[in-house]
Amino acid sequence: MEEKQTTFKPLDPLLHSELRLAVMSILIGVEEADFVYIKAQTGATAGNLSVQLDKLSAAGYIEVEKTFKGKKTCTICRITGKGRDAFAEYVETLKQYLQIPKV
Amino acid sequence: METIVNKENLSTENSLKIIAETMERSRKTIAKNLGKPLILWGCLVAVTALVIYFLWSKTGSPVWNLLWFAMSAIGVVCNIIMDKNKEKAPKTEVSRIIGKTWMWFGIFATGFYFLIWVAALIMRYFELGNIVVANMTLVIALLMGLCGVITGVVMKMKSVVACLVVATAISVVVALICNGPAQLLVFVVLGILGLLIPGMILQNKTKQN
Repeated sequence: MEEKQTTFKPLDPLLHSELRLAVMSILIGVEEADFVYIKAQTGATAGNLSVQLDKLSAAGYIEVEKTFKGKKTCTICRITGKGRDAFAEYVETLKQYLQIPKV
Repeated sequence: METIVNKENLSTENSLKIIAETMERSRKTIAKNLGKPLILWGCLVAVTALVIYFLWSKTGSPVWNLLWFAMSAIGVVCNIIMDKNKEKAPKTEVSRIIGKTWMWFGIFATGFYFLIWVAALIMRYFELGNIVVANMTLVIALLMGLCGVITGVVMKMKSVVACLVVATAISVVVALICNGPAQLLVFVVLGILGLLIPGMILQNKTKQN
């Protein structure tokens, strides 16, 4: 009998990390979110979150805007079209993986 | 709250769990206190309508309707104070649609009264006779009902839609039957059934979450 071989698309390594995935999951549902909100929602440390936001920004998945709220600095993040597409593709690939029955 | 660390070796099940949990947590934070503005405006509308009703009935002068402008100013100030005190949450498409819908209701309702007032003054000044005044209460009731139904539909809350449909139906009937100060009862109905109760339903639902 001919064996049917399933080929999987690899998961986007940039999104396949707990904190970056959580950040993208927050940003996909809102117009924009500030650093304080993302930090509170994820419970991540400021340093770690900063590094991960930089990685997502460098990939063009999010836009990071630094502004001022009174005298305080405010970092606003919003998802880009590229980020939205990457997230949708990541979820689609995940679904493919989960459809395969485990032996 | 569970802290999300930067783990790179995720299982597919774990990935989906993170996506679902983070989205749900964020959604709950955003939905928090969404009913409070409706409760505030519901109380303001109902109380102002009752006050104007009594003053108009006692004095026989409709000039007390100017209190609506005072109510709008009080409402806006209270809204700003409430916004400052509440937990900061990002704007979503849903909150933006609801906010803009009610903002435009305010502009239309206030603008409508203002235009009629200006038109009446001009007509009187140039002695052009009386303006054809539409049933303002009916127009405002319909506008308010429509905005409320949009809120309910966007929030996916059938109970809010039902409240607004009933409130608008009662208001339209009262607006067509009653004249003079009695028309203000429309706003008591709209304030309580169309704003206050839907606000309480929303607030209760987000508290349960």
